[in-house]
Amino acid sequence: MSLITLIPLFPLIGFLINGIGFRHVPKSLAGIISSAAAFASFACALTLFLGFNGQPQIVHLFDWITVGTLNISMSFQLDQLSLLMLLIITGVGTLIHIYSIGYMSHDEGFGKFFAFLNLFLFFMLLLVMGSNYVVMFIGWEGVGLCSYLLIGFWNKNSNYGNAARKAFIMNRIGDLGFLLGIFLIINHFGSVEYSEVFSKIAEGGYSSGDKTLFYITILLFIGAMGKSAQIPLYTWLPDAMAGPTPVSALIHAATMVTAGIYMIIRSNIMYSLAPETLDIVAWVGLATALLAASIGLFQNDIKKVLAYSTVSQLGYMFMGLGVMAYSSSFFHVMTHAFFKALLFLGAGSVIHAMSDEQDIRSMGGLRKKLPITFITFLIATIAISGIPPFAGFFSKDEILAHVFEHNKLMWAFGVLGSIMTSFYMFRLLFLTFFGEFRGTEKQKHHLHESPIAMTAPLMILAVLSAIGGFFNFPHIFGGHASLAAFMEPLFEQSAIEHVAVDESLEITLMIVSVVAALLSAGVAYFIYVVKKTVPVAEGEETGLQKVIYNKYYIDELYDTLFVKPITALSNFFREVIEFLVIDLIVEGVGKLVKTLSSEVRLLQNGTTGYYIFAMVLSIAAILVWSLKSFLLG
Amino acid sequence: MTMLTDFGYILLFIIAAIVFVAVILFLAKLIRPNRPNEEKLTTYESGEEPDGNANVRFNIRFYVVALIFILFDVEIIFLFPWATVFGNKRLIAETDGLWGWFSLVEMFVFVGVLLIGLAYAWIKGHLDWVRPEVKTTEYESKIPTSLYDKINQKYSQ
Amino acid sequence: MNAIIALSLFGISNLFLGFLNNRKILLPATLVFILIALGLNFADWNHEYYWFNNMLKTNNLSVNFVTIILLSTFLVVAISRSFGDDDEHSHPAEYYAILLFSAVGAIMMVTFENLIMLFVGLEILSVSMYVLTGSDKRSLRSNEAALKYFLMGSFATGILLFGVALVYGATSSFDIHGIAQGVAKAKEQMGGAYGPLLYSGVILIMVGLLFKISAAPFHFWTPDVYDGAPSIFTAFMSTVVKTAGVAATYRILSISFPSVYGLWGNPLVYIVCATLIIGNITAVYQQSFKRMLAYSSISHAGYLLITVLAKRPETNSSLLFYSLAYAIATITAFAVLMVVSEAQAKNGKADESFEALNGLANNNPLLAFSLTISMLSLAGIPLTAGFFGKFFVFSDAFSNPSSLFKWILVIAILMSTVGIYYYFKPIIAAYMKKGEVAKIELSPLYKFILILTTTLTILLGLAPDLVKNIF
Repeated sequence: MSLITLIPLFPLIGFLINGIGFRHVPKSLAGIISSAAAFASFACALTLFLGFNGQPQIVHLFDWITVGTLNISMSFQLDQLSLLMLLIITGVGTLIHIYSIGYMSHDEGFGKFFAFLNLFLFFMLLLVMGSNYVVMFIGWEGVGLCSYLLIGFWNKNSNYGNAARKAFIMNRIGDLGFLLGIFLIINHFGSVEYSEVFSKIAEGGYSSGDKTLFYITILLFIGAMGKSAQIPLYTWLPDAMAGPTPVSALIHAATMVTAGIYMIIRSNIMYSLAPETLDIVAWVGLATALLAASIGLFQNDIKKVLAYSTVSQLGYMFMGLGVMAYSSSFFHVMTHAFFKALLFLGAGSVIHAMSDEQDIRSMGGLRKKLPITFITFLIATIAISGIPPFAGFFSKDEILAHVFEHNKLMWAFGVLGSIMTSFYMFRLLFLTFFGEFRGTEKQKHHLHESPIAMTAPLMILAVLSAIGGFFNFPHIFGGHASLAAFMEPLFEQSAIEHVAVDESLEITLMIVSVVAALLSAGVAYFIYVVKKTVPVAEGEETGLQKVIYNKYYIDELYDTLFVKPITALSNFFREVIEFLVIDLIVEGVGKLVKTLSSEVRLLQNGTTGYYIFAMVLSIAAILVWSLKSFLLG
Repeated sequence: MTMLTDFGYILLFIIAAIVFVAVILFLAKLIRPNRPNEEKLTTYESGEEPDGNANVRFNIRFYVVALIFILFDVEIIFLFPWATVFGNKRLIAETDGLWGWFSLVEMFVFVGVLLIGLAYAWIKGHLDWVRPEVKTTEYESKIPTSLYDKINQKYSQ
Repeated sequence: MNAIIALSLFGISNLFLGFLNNRKILLPATLVFILIALGLNFADWNHEYYWFNNMLKTNNLSVNFVTIILLSTFLVVAISRSFGDDDEHSHPAEYYAILLFSAVGAIMMVTFENLIMLFVGLEILSVSMYVLTGSDKRSLRSNEAALKYFLMGSFATGILLFGVALVYGATSSFDIHGIAQGVAKAKEQMGGAYGPLLYSGVILIMVGLLFKISAAPFHFWTPDVYDGAPSIFTAFMSTVVKTAGVAATYRILSISFPSVYGLWGNPLVYIVCATLIIGNITAVYQQSFKRMLAYSSISHAGYLLITVLAKRPETNSSLLFYSLAYAIATITAFAVLMVVSEAQAKNGKADESFEALNGLANNNPLLAFSLTISMLSLAGIPLTAGFFGKFFVFSDAFSNPSSLFKWILVIAILMSTVGIYYYFKPIIAAYMKKGEVAKIELSPLYKFILILTTTLTILLGLAPDLVKNIF
């Protein structure tokens, strides 16, 4: 058994142990087993990465379905893309597992939680390791399931259950698109293996703007919209914050939500030949980035802010994909995994200290009580705001530079988005960690720094957030862009135009965005630290602020547009169609069969003589019928 | 005149057999004296006096015995064609005598299989006309057997 | 093919083992015997051999069929629990011996190269089954079933023999390949036409075999006999006899008479449709689980015959897969039925009806789960072996260019939906109906067999290629 097969096997074993042995495996052991499983996978992935020779490897496990000429196998593909994803998933995953040991220590469903986390890891690994779209789809659905289970982890609260259901249903809409895309691929290429499909495209002489590729890519993108929370299917992600914070960090920030980006990078050959889709991807990404960032400006729930920030950052990544800056987008996936996981974990640490209080209006001045959390949170904030030399700066700037080449207007909007990002992130930071404590006395008394199991992952992630940018240090600063170079073979067959960016222009662009980010951070400082403004209480917002605070009423809009008509339609069906048509036909058929049965049954009357008579009669009938040509001459 | 097929020979055999039997019976009828009486007209049952109708239920054991009898009857019939092959001079000469041994052993195997069957039937007791039947009474006496033993002891002295 | 000899010897040694007065040794001994036979059977893999002067022939297809037959026999023996503890009235040594002998007959039916061997095999199997059907000597139903089966069975055997004689008359050969040549020669001589001798012969042979696999309208014996026979032997009948019968039908029709397809194909179309409709529709009304299974076995004969009729290159593997899936699921169902009806009979309740299963899941989760999986498999619900069985059968029919098959498919699919109705009855009874079945103690072997068959059913439903590639 090769290392490759071991990678998903470890979490699966962990899941089986913790899942089957839930309530029997002692708490202390459950966390260790799960974390060990995650770490073992990470170790395998790292070994593979270090020994990687640039050649994609495919490990064939077994043929899963063979229908006609279509053969769907269960096999894994190990190449640059899946390796990087593996490292991110297992690396960040391991840290979050360790963190969870501390965070969930008081929870009743401790073992269950770790079982789910491991199951999630297993499916996520399946998703990125599969060598064909169907295995990816299995992982895709599996992570959806785990996301559902973990959002609704505290299932005694029915609101959380509803949030889980919302996430599931929204994802199903996207999945439908993905599934149709796969069907179209099967129909058109007769295979789902990446290698076969892509080589067929490369050899097939498809011209840019091919209709089939357009449909395939747009359907796949719909899938990505659902999973990666893009307009119009993004509303589930903020609600998904109902789950435990490590879940938000792992699933709804670092890994699962980037599955859509992974999928598009994986299919980059098709996307590069479908410029219309790319445009849609870019504009949807931009719109999502702006919309989510603007909603983030006035949220008061610490996790909600981060959730909208995630949606917005995902928007950036899609924008990057839309302008064919695949490796830049992936770079952002990576750095985002570091700093967003860190932000969530830091938020978790704060929530932990505040006895499950999530409203930033009740916080303030926490930096003295939670020094490690504060410093790491600060690093992450700087990173996400795009201030050099931290990770976010490099990745976001690469995307923006590519966007600038593509469309200047888009770039301008992108910079606007990053201004907003910087603002809401610093707002969050200042409101949480600066000023006076605004919570109750009891909470104040309870304030404490988190245990080492929680702070250690924070520190590791902080280091990564700080230096993550150097994995792909750009040429203009004398770097080698090693990540881009590493990923180069993935895009060989893809028709990407390489436009050399003017160095001075690039530096100018960088300065513009950095200055903008710094300025808006300064504004935030002025408002929330110097003037000590505290956001108004619930229901007292006015004007635009109220609209934004209520997320542009988009949930309500969806409710009126989709949910209510469907409810009405379903009522109609239930009361009219079902009664008149279904009952009549279905029950009619049922009754008919039953009546027939009661009649036919009487043929079986128990008399041997009659049975033999019937047999003889049938034989005679068959003989007469077959021999009629002889009988009639 | 068409050639006779194998079926044709069989047909001829059947016809010949019927004709043969008919001719013999007819001849007998011509020659024999005809003096019937009551004793002669009763069914011949190996010298036993016939008693009642023959159309009654027979003891099931007749069937078992008959079955075993038929088995060995058939075995004997099988021995006839075997004997002609067994003594085939040409085959014996060709195989340097090995043929004889081979066919002999084969026949022993065949008879052996039947013997196993016979042995099974024997052990099962199908060949015993009167089976020893152990009647166990379900009645449980309230008087303990030790009491009887005591009485026996007392009066045997 | 040494399996035939070995099984015969094992059967005889079983008879003598019975004299040891130790009934506990019989069950493991028989299981070991069957395993040895299986091993000998596998030795024939990838060899094409003629045996006993061209009387039998083994190839991979026959090895696969023999494997299914021996596997079914193994499972049936494993759930037989030594036929109870009643020394006076049950004769385990003889029963096991007869089961082994009938397995020999079944093997001959799937490997015959000569019609004489078909006949001999069929008779060995049938006569054994007559005996086993009537083995519950004190039960009137069992006696009645045995007599009915014997009367009708011998009638059908007569018809088969008549057909063999007619075919011999037309082609002057008993050898199945020789018959094929004879048919071709006859065609040449008659200038493209065939005499009524061949016509009648082919149809009578087919009818004789269809009787054995209980296709309508020759199915009348099935419900009465299945219902009357002791459940364990019903399980054997509905799996081994059916598999052997279908294999024999397929063998002779596809090897000897492919050139006269229209001759047997046309009536077979109507027979298949009638079988599907009668089997499924009648099953709906049944109150007895066992009788429902009898009708279900009729309907499955219909599905199996579709592939025989479709005559595709994939027919071999579809037939094998379907037989395997069906056999495993049916034996599981009977295994559950047997213990439950026994437990209920002890309480003096109704024994073999659906009501006997009411509330089974409460105290006997394993039994209820196995029952559910087997029913789902028989109904052809995805993720069970039965689904892929049906899927392969239907895709065979679908890929046959004749438009007739579309209609057969329509009927088959409609009838499988009807099937879902009655296959869910036991599941509903076990899980949803109120009732009380006391905890039934199962022996470790019994549990193992239930888990094994259930796992196999699910496994084949998840990865049909595991065995489909072998077939």
